[in-house]
Amino acid sequence: MKRTLIMVLLVLVLAFTACTAPAAPVQAPEQASTEKVKLTFSAWGAPEELAVWKEIVNDFQAKYPNITVNVEVGDWDAYWDKIKTQLAANTAPDIFAMDAPLYLDYQTRGVLLNLQPFVDANPDMMKDIYPQTLEAYKTADGYYGLPRDFNTIVLFYNKDMFDKAKVAYPTVDWTWDDLREAAKKLTLDTNGDGKIDQYGYTFDQWDMEPGWSEALWSYGGEIVNAERTKTLIGEPQAREAWQMLYDMVFKDKSCPDANQVAELGGDPFTAGRAAMNAMGHWAVPGYVGAGFQFDAAPMPKGPAGHATSVNSAGFVVAKTTKYPKESFEFIKYVLSPDAQGKLAKLGFAVPVLKSVAESDTFLKQEGSTLIQQVFLDSLEFAHMKPVFRGYDEWAAAVGDGLAPVWNGEAELNATLDEVVKAADAVLAKVK
Amino acid sequence: MESGLKPLGKEKLWLWLMLTPTLIGLVFGIVGSILATLGLSFTHWDLLTPPRWAGLENYKVLFTDPKLIKALVNTITFSLLYVPAVVVASLAVAMLMNRKIKGLSIFRTIYFLPAVTSAVATAIVWNMIYGQDHGLLNWVLGRIGIAGVSWLSTKNVLSALIIVNVWGAIGEGMIIFLAGLTTIPKDYYEAATLDGANRRKQFWKITLPLITPSIFFQTLMSTINAFQAYDYIYMLTRRGQGDSTFPVMVYSIYRNAWTFFNYGGASAQAIELSLFVVALMAFYFWLEKRYVFYD
Repeated sequence: MKRTLIMVLLVLVLAFTACTAPAAPVQAPEQASTEKVKLTFSAWGAPEELAVWKEIVNDFQAKYPNITVNVEVGDWDAYWDKIKTQLAANTAPDIFAMDAPLYLDYQTRGVLLNLQPFVDANPDMMKDIYPQTLEAYKTADGYYGLPRDFNTIVLFYNKDMFDKAKVAYPTVDWTWDDLREAAKKLTLDTNGDGKIDQYGYTFDQWDMEPGWSEALWSYGGEIVNAERTKTLIGEPQAREAWQMLYDMVFKDKSCPDANQVAELGGDPFTAGRAAMNAMGHWAVPGYVGAGFQFDAAPMPKGPAGHATSVNSAGFVVAKTTKYPKESFEFIKYVLSPDAQGKLAKLGFAVPVLKSVAESDTFLKQEGSTLIQQVFLDSLEFAHMKPVFRGYDEWAAAVGDGLAPVWNGEAELNATLDEVVKAADAVLAKVK
Repeated sequence: MESGLKPLGKEKLWLWLMLTPTLIGLVFGIVGSILATLGLSFTHWDLLTPPRWAGLENYKVLFTDPKLIKALVNTITFSLLYVPAVVVASLAVAMLMNRKIKGLSIFRTIYFLPAVTSAVATAIVWNMIYGQDHGLLNWVLGRIGIAGVSWLSTKNVLSALIIVNVWGAIGEGMIIFLAGLTTIPKDYYEAATLDGANRRKQFWKITLPLITPSIFFQTLMSTINAFQAYDYIYMLTRRGQGDSTFPVMVYSIYRNAWTFFNYGGASAQAIELSLFVVALMAFYFWLEKRYVFYD
C-alpha cells in the first residue's frame, strides 16, 4: 500500500518539477584554490559500498582540504528515481554514478557536462584505463562520463557439485556442447521423488548481460546493428544460439525454466540448486557467503569462437554543477591507484586501472580462492553490452517479449519474430 | 449521510482553522498534481527536456498499445473478482469473530496479521506455497491424490493472486464489519427469535440490511485498493527487471514514466485509471441512495 502511494506520488511529483524553469548553464568560474567547495556525489549500492566511498572521500578531502564531498548511496531503483527528479528540478548532485547502457539516455538529453576539456588537460590519467571500458562513454564531441569499474561475464561453477558427480571442471577450451553435456550429468533428482532438485546450468532469461548475449555472440550472432536501427537477435546465427539455450531448458531439462527459477527464489546458483551460472563479479560477495566451494572459468566457445560481455559502471557530472573543475578532480582521484584499490577490495567489480587489476590487490582477495585472472582474460574476447538511447525500453520489449517462451508457454521462433518487430518499433521511436 | 453534531458559532472558526493545514496540503498537493498530470497527458515529456505538445496522441496509444491494453484488462479483471470476494470473505470472518468464543482476541489477531506484515515478506512465503515442484500447496494436493499445477503460470496466475490479495485484505475488512455488527441492537435478534425466525432469516432480514453502510464503505475501499493493487502482485509475478506475468495499471504507469522516460504517456494512463475509479464511485453513490440504510 505504502509503496503504491509513493509511486502515485512520484507520478504526481511531476507537477512541481514541470513548473521549475531550467537554470541557465553555469560557466566554469576560475576557482581560487582556497575557496571552500562543497560537492555531492551520488551512487547506487549496498551499505558496505557506502563505507568504502566514505573512506575514499576522506582520503580525497585530506588531499584537497578546501573541498568537502557529501556521499549519498541508495538502492538501484530509488537511486534512478531520485536522480531523474533531481535533474528535472536542477538540484542534481555534482557527480553521480552511471550505468553504461543508460548513459546515452542522459547524455543525449543534455543534462551532462562535457568532460573532454578536462580529459585533454590530463592525458596521463587515461593511459592506464582498459580501452574496452572507455568505449561506451565516447561520443562525437568527447567524453561525458568515465568508467569506474567493469564486469566481464564468466562461467561460475559449484565445485562441490562437480566433485560429487565426478565431472571435470570447466576449462578454457570448453565449447557450448561440453557445457551442455556436463549440465546433463549435473542435473539430478537427489531425493528420488521424480522432480529435479539440482540443475546443471542457469542463466538470466531476461537480461542479456548475465544471460544470453554471450551465447549469441559466440554463435556469430549480433544484438543490434551499428546504427542502432535494427534488432538482430532474430538472424539465423542468433537463432541457433537461442535454440541451444531453449533445448537446454525444455529438451535436456538441465536448466530451470522461468517458473522454476522463481520458485528457487530467483537465483538457483546461490541457492545451491544449480551447478553452473553465467554471472559477473558483482555476485562474488554473495557466493562467498553461500556455503559452497566455487570457481570461475571463461564462457564456453561457440562456432564463432569465444565471446563474452563487458559492461561498466562509471560517473558523470551534472551540467548544472557550480564546480566542474573540483568535480573532475574527484573523478580523477577515484581513478587513482589508491581509490581503485579500495573499490577492488569490495569485490563487486573489476577496477578499470590495469595496474590495479593486474596487481595482488585485485588478483588475491581475502577469504576467496576464486581465480580472478579469468575476469581479465575474458576482456580479450568481450563484446561491449550495447549502449544506446532508449536501451531500457528496448530491453523490456525483448525481455518481456521472450518471457512466455521461458515460462514454457510460447514457441521460440514465432515469438522471436514478434519480439524483433516490437524491439525495432522502440528503436524507431527513440531515435 | 448525517452527522449528529453540528459546530456552533465560534466553533466554526476553530473548525476551519484546524482544517487549514490539511486543506492546504490537499489543494496544492493533490488538486495541483492532478491538474498537472492532466496537462502533461497532452504532451511528450521525458522529464529532462521541455515538454512538447502531443494533442491526443498519448490517449490514442492507450487503445492501440497491446501492453497498455493488457495492463488495463488485467486490472479490471482482477478488480471484478477481488472486490466481491473481499466483501464476502471479510463479512463471513467478521460474523465468526462476533461471537463469544474462547481465544477470540487470538483469532482476531491472526486474521488481522497480514494487514500489518510486510507485503514483500509474505509474498516470498506465498511463492513457496505456490511453487510447482517443491511448493507446499502442490505437496498437500499430492497427498490427497490431486495432481499439482503451476499456480503462477499465466493460466492460473489470476486465481492465485486473488487468493493472496483477499487473504491480505480480510483483516481490515473484518474490522469494518465488526464495527458495523456491534451497532445492531441485540433486542432485534431476541424479538426475531421470539417470532420464530431462524438464523438464516435473521441474517437476511436483520443483519444484512443494518450493515449496508459497512458493506458500502468496504466495497468502496476495496475497489480503490483493487485498482491500486500492486505489491503482492508484483512480488509474485515479477520476471526480469520490471517485467511481470500479470502486469497491472499502477506498475505500468510507474514503469512507463520512470524507466521509459515517457511521462506524458504515463500521465494519460493515470488519467485513464482515475476515470475508471471515478465512474465506479459515481455508480456506487447512485446505489447508495437506493440500497444503503442509515438509521
